[in-house]
Amino acid sequence: MSNIINLLTRAFFMSTPLILGALGEVIAERTGMMVTAVEGIFLIGAWGGFIGAYLSGNLVIGFLVAMICGILVAMLYGVTTVYMNQHQIVMGTAIAILTTGFCTFFYRVIFGVQTTPLKVETLPVIAIPFLSEIPIIGPIVFSQNIVTYLTYLLVPVIFYVLFKTSLGLTLRSCGESPEAADAAGINVRQVRFLAVAVAGCLGGVAGAYYSLCNVGMYTSEIISGRGWIAFGICFLGNWNPVGALTFGIVFGISDAIGVYVKALGLAGLPSELFSALPYFLVIVLTVCRKQLKVPEKLGVNYIKEN
Amino acid sequence: MGTPAIELKNITKRFAKVLANDNVSMTIGEGEVVALLGENGAGKSTIMKILYGLYHATSGKIFIDGQEKVITNPKEAMSLGISMIQQHFSLVPAHTVTENIILGNCKGKIDYKAKEKEVQELADYYHFDVPAGEYVKNLTVGTQQKVEILKALYLKARILIMDEPTAVLTPQESETLMQFIRDYVAKGNSVVFITHKMKEVIEVSDRIIVMRNGRVCGQIEKDEVATIDEATLAYKMIGHDLDELQMPGEEDYSKRKKRVVVEHVSIQPKDQVALLSDISFDIHEGEVFGFAGVSGNGQQELCEALYGARKLTSGKIMLDEEDISTLSVKERIKRGMGYVASDRYRYGMVADMSLSENMLLKASYLSRWIKHGIINWKKVDEDTETAIKDYTIKAPDHMISAGSLSGGNQQKVVVAREVDMGDSMIIFDQPTRGLDLGAINYVHKTILREKEQGKSILLVSTELSEIFSLSDRIAVLYKGKIMGIYKNTELTTEKIGLLMAGVDEKEEKHHEK
Repeated sequence: MSNIINLLTRAFFMSTPLILGALGEVIAERTGMMVTAVEGIFLIGAWGGFIGAYLSGNLVIGFLVAMICGILVAMLYGVTTVYMNQHQIVMGTAIAILTTGFCTFFYRVIFGVQTTPLKVETLPVIAIPFLSEIPIIGPIVFSQNIVTYLTYLLVPVIFYVLFKTSLGLTLRSCGESPEAADAAGINVRQVRFLAVAVAGCLGGVAGAYYSLCNVGMYTSEIISGRGWIAFGICFLGNWNPVGALTFGIVFGISDAIGVYVKALGLAGLPSELFSALPYFLVIVLTVCRKQLKVPEKLGVNYIKEN
Repeated sequence: MGTPAIELKNITKRFAKVLANDNVSMTIGEGEVVALLGENGAGKSTIMKILYGLYHATSGKIFIDGQEKVITNPKEAMSLGISMIQQHFSLVPAHTVTENIILGNCKGKIDYKAKEKEVQELADYYHFDVPAGEYVKNLTVGTQQKVEILKALYLKARILIMDEPTAVLTPQESETLMQFIRDYVAKGNSVVFITHKMKEVIEVSDRIIVMRNGRVCGQIEKDEVATIDEATLAYKMIGHDLDELQMPGEEDYSKRKKRVVVEHVSIQPKDQVALLSDISFDIHEGEVFGFAGVSGNGQQELCEALYGARKLTSGKIMLDEEDISTLSVKERIKRGMGYVASDRYRYGMVADMSLSENMLLKASYLSRWIKHGIINWKKVDEDTETAIKDYTIKAPDHMISAGSLSGGNQQKVVVAREVDMGDSMIIFDQPTRGLDLGAINYVHKTILREKEQGKSILLVSTELSEIFSLSDRIAVLYKGKIMGIYKNTELTTEKIGLLMAGVDEKEEKHHEK
């Protein structure tokens, strides 16, 4: 029993960055922007977060640096795609690769080549009084860190904004029919650019979660495709924050199982097999998922003639 | 008349090298319907898009109620009471009617129930049968247009610009629209009506402004509109007379050989509405068989089925007594089938390739131009040059890319190729869509010429005048079904309009009882 509770606690813990990244992706993709730079945004978030926290000795500063790094990379992506009409997928992939080299190089420039990795204290768990004492649910849901709590709060907030407010209608219209939004006097490019920046901010925090909450250090393999998983979760969740939450948890569980089995060291089964579980899951679930409500103009740049 | 609601003074608009509007001046008064008449590319949409803030004039001034205004975007135009309904609707198909109408005009939290009620009341006030809570993608084109109009009315527009509003409507829907325009104008508002259809212009407008080559080339004042005839208007529009077409006579085709026979053809995708159900007809030698109907009622599917681009669920297609139902597109081309697709940019040509290459596009496996897999370019180029001459295509040579030609000349290239390939049968799907009068006239003459040569011709068009002036027999398609096959002379515009709206004759009689 306690094993299962541990596993689920871990699952919720691991799902946080995936949900965060997917939420950012939901916001951007609803406006028609496929933020394919997400893997790079995650990585630079992990990198910037660690450097900020290590040099200042303060995790809050770490997260702030991660946000700024995420926003900057997202803005690079936004400027080239939204304003310079470059292909979204090509640009995003190029930026993702660029950040890999950038992070590895500047990590060495700043810290030199280390024999043992540098470490920071990870973000502490805040057990919510009373609630965390509820059996089973208490330890799983109410004994997490502050970022996890905020992420779970963000889900209804983003849902409300997207579907109940004028801002949400504007965002969704830009992704469904930018021409119609334009005709209604909405600055489509600006909306799209800002949405991408928001996705960059959330993605930066998500990346820093790996370095500052999970392992307390930075390695160049720290993200290893998890940005793409967040990207996939946005699709699977039908561009809906609640869907992102659901599939985020599913992937959190599979991630936790991978880590758990690795720790147990089950005889005969290679642990890499379980580490690969989330990636298998992306493929299987994406193929099985039917009736996706893709925003009509997702990935299509809006070029206005004048 | 006092100060006009809108006055445009000496507007000039230049796109890179093209002069779209050259020193255009006009006024729009309160409570009048002004028609802007002209061919494609005459600059009528451009001038209105400048007024609506979509384009910016290179030079010139705009006065609203006598005051000079600079309109830089549609939002500013709307705040001045100007609304424009564009040819391609600016609606979000995946959103509801209400969401579409309030887009950009609401703040903060949206009370969807209250907004929906407000929109529904507005629709009811204007007698528009529009469900406020429905998704736009589920509405017919006619209703979508009403949503566009409601959008303008919601913003309290007093000047409504409509760009080719009747192009997508059935005759009955057009009549409702005209009725609305008259009611709306009676309330002291104004309407600008952009069109190239002369009949509606005479019917609805108080004043007509004719444009040609970016200039205003004539105005027909209030008292003259009632007496003017179409021929005079056409002359003003294109600057020369049109060649008269000979209406199809009552020729008896029953003794001639049936070249094309279509029997009980159905296309039924799994778990979806049938695209075509139980289509049967035949086309004789030298006959033009017209398909009328509002676009999207199965016309394209029917053409694709005949051409081999779509699999039949059931039924049979015969060409010259041979069953071709299961043959590939390639095999059908070999048997002399030509196909002028409705969307030439997607299915008819490669814009970046030269005219020669485009001529070769569908014949790359025919032995005429190919020997042992090697293209005889000299022959292709020669034949292309001949086509350029024969079809009076305005192109310097065969090397130029198809995309650099005007729409009408591109269509001529496609028509030249398909007429050449289609020895036995040619399918024309909306062959004149988006073309100007001169090019339309040419395509029509080509169709009649090929008919004379004994080819069977299937003509799909949403323009009733085109159907009536070319077809020997006419079928009406509605939701993938044939509503009836008639001789040209048996049909009136009214009757065909009802059929296009899906009203069966029998049903109609039933209602009368």
